Amino acid sequence: MRSRSIALVGLAVVAIIASACSSAATPVPGLKIGLVTDVGTLNDKNFNQYSWEGAQAGATAIGAQAPQSAVSSVSADIAKNIQSFVDQKYDVIVTVGFAAGSDTIKAAKANKGIKFIGVDQSPCLDAAGVEDPTFGCKGDAAALLPNLVGIQWKEQQPGYLAGIVAASISKSGHIAAIGGTAAVPAVPNYMLGYANGAKSVKSTIKVELQYISAAPDKAAFADPAGGTAFAKQLLAKFTDVDVLFQVAGLTGNGVLQAACDAKIYGIGVDVDQFLSTPDTAKCTVVSAEKKLSKNVSDQIQKVKAGTFKAGTAKLDIGSNDVGLSPFHDSASLITPATQKLIDDAVAAMKAGTLKACDENAFGGCNIPK
Amino acid sequence: MRIDLRVPLARARGLIALPAGAILLAFIVGAVVMLVSSPLVTGHFDPSLPLRTYAAIVEGSLLSVNALVDTVVAATPLILVGLAVGLGFKAGLFNIGGQGQFLMGAVASAAAGAALAHESPIVAITLSVVAGVVAGAAYGFIPGLLKAYTGAHEVVTTIMLNYVGIQVISYLITGPLRAQGASFARSPDVQNAELPAFLNVGTGHEAHIGILVILVVVPAISWLLYRSTTGFEIRTVGANPDAARYAGMQPRRLVILSLTVGGMLAGLAGAIEILGVSGYMPAAYATNVGFDAITVALLGRATPGGIFFSGLLLGALRAGAPLMQVKAGVPVQMIDLLQGIILFFLTADVIVRYVFRVKAARAKLDELQTVTRSYGSGTGKP
Repeated sequence: MRSRSIALVGLAVVAIIASACSSAATPVPGLKIGLVTDVGTLNDKNFNQYSWEGAQAGATAIGAQAPQSAVSSVSADIAKNIQSFVDQKYDVIVTVGFAAGSDTIKAAKANKGIKFIGVDQSPCLDAAGVEDPTFGCKGDAAALLPNLVGIQWKEQQPGYLAGIVAASISKSGHIAAIGGTAAVPAVPNYMLGYANGAKSVKSTIKVELQYISAAPDKAAFADPAGGTAFAKQLLAKFTDVDVLFQVAGLTGNGVLQAACDAKIYGIGVDVDQFLSTPDTAKCTVVSAEKKLSKNVSDQIQKVKAGTFKAGTAKLDIGSNDVGLSPFHDSASLITPATQKLIDDAVAAMKAGTLKACDENAFGGCNIPK
Repeated sequence: MRIDLRVPLARARGLIALPAGAILLAFIVGAVVMLVSSPLVTGHFDPSLPLRTYAAIVEGSLLSVNALVDTVVAATPLILVGLAVGLGFKAGLFNIGGQGQFLMGAVASAAAGAALAHESPIVAITLSVVAGVVAGAAYGFIPGLLKAYTGAHEVVTTIMLNYVGIQVISYLITGPLRAQGASFARSPDVQNAELPAFLNVGTGHEAHIGILVILVVVPAISWLLYRSTTGFEIRTVGANPDAARYAGMQPRRLVILSLTVGGMLAGLAGAIEILGVSGYMPAAYATNVGFDAITVALLGRATPGGIFFSGLLLGALRAGAPLMQVKAGVPVQMIDLLQGIILFFLTADVIVRYVFRVKAARAKLDELQTVTRSYGSGTGKP
């Protein structure tokens, strides 16, 4: 018994001595940047990861110390993590995802000295400056919360361009898109744009739009095996579908896998999936992108430069913040005629003469009943 | 007259030795994991990482009024659901349905809160809390009824009902309960049904009145178990259903009662989380409280007092997690790891006994026996 006790005490002593010998952290001047993730993990090949890369790039660009991340494992963690950065006197706090919107507004209201960047959020306030979950948005968010910017994208525009590509390379005239959930506006935005883009090429084309889950849960965005199964089911029902667009995050990577297995074309989403998911690169023709990392980095640089603009930054093709990725190995599939259709659509959307979908007051798509 | 403290002290030691040993070993193993993985966090081997991590957890959970409030707020649902699981253990039942019962309580109180958002706070809060408790009770009643009259094992039915619960919530929040507007799927704000804060108002570390419930519920469950006839019957059924039946007790009634009261407690926890912390419910409400509560109940040896303290401990880990991430750069998954290792050492108690030379406990390990033998033995029918 004694020898065992001595061993345990010895272990503790060694640990304490080792700890005491640690190097003291030297404070680096400049902005302190913190990032609070949406529920999940940091390396999710999705919003969390690309926002984090953007925060790191932004910090490097302005010469600030490396940013710090706080991962949320359950819903209640988001507010606690934000508060922790507030307590530690951080200067810029990036919060990721629609679900963090309410907590971000509350924190921005209580801490006017801290700049908040909400990824995939659109601060909507009533006249009294309180969050308006019914999206009446009577209050001027930029004036009421001058320290908060929400970043959103017109996903329907890259979706539209992906639809042009899909309709052009489809031989059967039957294409499909699989979304994680219609409950997150970005997803139907992509999908409705996709259907409209395809129909602009060929009005008779059949487009299947299917959603995996009713809610933005694990099945919708974090279940690759489920995505493969869902896609296989769809392909078994519609055997002539020969292009499959995924709008489902990690779940969607399984959708691309199913496309590869069935030897049909896949289209990636959010980032250039030819590069980000090499396993399915061989069947990934193109990806409908939004420049998430760049846009988060841009906002951090604006804070440093003093050009920070509060409210909602609705990013679109006019500033090239959304668009199509390079075609990589699939360039031979894209005929000059298809490329012209894409170029014309981009030009028309930039000029404002072409709407990728029936847009609502917030720049998203009205979902047909 | 001298009071001999040796007997009660020895008894307390017998009760505490195993959980304390499990916790200590978990922190040592956790430190080793952090040492080994420190190059991933700091870019080089950093022997100070474990100490900095534990220091940040302690600072974030204990060393200020804000930190203490965070700990109690995080501990409240863990204690309530822990009591639900512990009550099951006392009746010889392994209730894994805390998660589903918590979620049903949460969604019911979110619905009631949204409907009563403009009533006076007393009416709105009371009815919303009652809605949560009733929904949780109903969701505990179902597996109780199935167990009592069909012999369907509560481990199976409660796990399945957890999944059913998630889908029901998904339907309700994306459907009839969804707040109107272009926003993502969530229920409307509960507004006047929100539990008011009484401490640290406006600091981001508010203490809401829901945490006071613990002061009532823990003694109440203790009274129920150890001072009431029903409690005696519950414990007798848990220890030996045949003897209980022979003694004229009704095991069926007691099984239903235990799971229903457990459901009430878990539903109450859900109501307090929604009305006190978030103020609304998103369609994909992520929580682990139902599973963490199993660790709480085992760590607390299924006694109300033990569950109170083990709930505070796990609440402290959760409350300290944000500061741990911010100051030490260790991801929140470290807390899950620590909890997992604690649970491992609790169930593999032979290891703890060997290291710390704890004799086979004189106090009965009935809750552990319930876990290890509950599935796959016996007829199932009470």
